[in-house]
Amino acid sequence: MAKKKYNILLIEPSEIVATGVAAIVNKSNEFKLTTILPDTDYLRQVRTAHDIIIINPTAATPVERQDIRTILGAESGTTAIVALSYDNLHENELLRYDGSIGIHDTPERIYQKLHNAIKECSENKNEAGELSARERDILVSVAKGKTNKEIADRYNISIYTVISHRRNISRKLGINSIPGLTVYAIMNKLIDISDIQ
Amino acid sequence: MKHTPYTSKTKAADLITSDFNLLYIFERFGIKLGFGEATIEELCSRYNLSSALFITLSNIYSFDDYRPKADALGKEEIPQIISYLRASHRHYMNSSLPTLHGNIHTMMEEYEETNRYILNKFFDDYDNEIKRHFEYEEQCVFPYIESRLTGNRKDDTGYNIANFEESHTNVSEKLNDLKNIIIKYLPDSYTSEIRATVLREIFRIESDLRKHATVENRLLIPLVAKLEGEKHPKA
Repeated sequence: MAKKKYNILLIEPSEIVATGVAAIVNKSNEFKLTTILPDTDYLRQVRTAHDIIIINPTAATPVERQDIRTILGAESGTTAIVALSYDNLHENELLRYDGSIGIHDTPERIYQKLHNAIKECSENKNEAGELSARERDILVSVAKGKTNKEIADRYNISIYTVISHRRNISRKLGINSIPGLTVYAIMNKLIDISDIQ
Repeated sequence: MKHTPYTSKTKAADLITSDFNLLYIFERFGIKLGFGEATIEELCSRYNLSSALFITLSNIYSFDDYRPKADALGKEEIPQIISYLRASHRHYMNSSLPTLHGNIHTMMEEYEETNRYILNKFFDDYDNEIKRHFEYEEQCVFPYIESRLTGNRKDDTGYNIANFEESHTNVSEKLNDLKNIIIKYLPDSYTSEIRATVLREIFRIESDLRKHATVENRLLIPLVAKLEGEKHPKA
C-alpha cells in the first residue's frame, strides 16, 4: 500500500457533525481532512485539488444537487464524491455520488466506504464507456418502470448494487432521468414501444 | 475579496458589448435600447430600478462562479426580482420553448415512427413539466411573497418559503438528457443543420435556466426567508 494520504474536503453545515467526521477521518493514517466548508458558497476559494469530497447534500441548493459533480468541479473523475447522509437521502439521489457514508457508520465502515468510492471513481475514469451485459439488463428494467426494489429481487442483488449499476449506466450514457433512459432503450431497440404503453 | 468588473458607474452599453447574454436583463426589465452613454446608475434611476439589483443580476449572468450576497439587497428589491422572474417566464413560454418545440418536431420528421414518437413525447412531457413549474411559481409562490410584503397575508396556510425550496423540482436534468440523446444516440439523418440548431438552442436555454435558478435560490429565497424572520409588518 502506497504511503500517500488521500486529501479530503468536507462540506457540512453542522459544526458538531463536521468536527466528528474530521476526528474519525484524521484518526486513520490513510486519509487527511484538509478543508471544511459549511456550504457550497465558499467552493471557489478552494484552490487545492482533493482526492475525495464528502458533502452533506443539504449544504447545496436543490438545483445544485441535480448537477453535483459539475458544482464540485469533479466531472473528470479524479475526485471521488461521497454523500454524507443523516438517513435523509432518497436512494435515487445517491446515484449521483461515488458512495455514501451515514452518521451511524463505524469508523472502519467509513474507511472502507471511502476506499470503495475511490475505486468506483477510478474505475469509471478508465472504462471505455460501453454498457456491460448486466448494466444493459438493469437499464431495460429501469426503462420499463421497475423500482430499485423490484430489480434487486429479480436479479437477486442488493438495492445498493442496483444503485451502483444505475449510477454507472447514467454516467456512461450521460442520461439521468428515467424517461431519458427509456428513450435510449427504445432508440437502441433494447425494449419495444409496447413495453411502456 | 474578488472584484467584479461591473459597478453602477459602468456604461450600460459596455455591459452588453462585454457579454451579449446581458441583453436578456435589459429586455426583461423593459429597458429600451438607444440609451447613449448612460451609466447603469443613470439608466436604473430612469426606470425606477435598483442599480444594486441590476449589477447583481449582471454578475450572475456573466460569471458562473459568482455567488450573490443577499445582504447587499433588501426587501425593496423583492418586487423587482419577481417582476424580472415573471418576464423571464414569459420569454421561455412565448419564445424559447415554442421555438425549440417546433424545431424538434421538424428535426424528427425524417425519422421512422417509433423514434419520432418517443423523442417528441419526451420533449412534450418536459415542456409540460416546466410550464407547470412556472405556473406554480406564478400562482402560488409569487402571490405568497407579495402578500408577505404588503402584510395582507392570511396566516392560516402554514406556507413558507422553505416549502418552495423543497418543491423546487429540477428543470434542467431532462434538458441535459435530451442533449446527450441528440448528440450521441439519435441515428444519423440527411439534414444535420436542424440538429445542430436544436442543440445550440438547448445549450442556450439550459444556461439561461441555470441563471434563472440562481436568481431564485441565491437571491429571492434568502431575501424572503429574511423577511419571514422579521416581525409581521402590522404587529
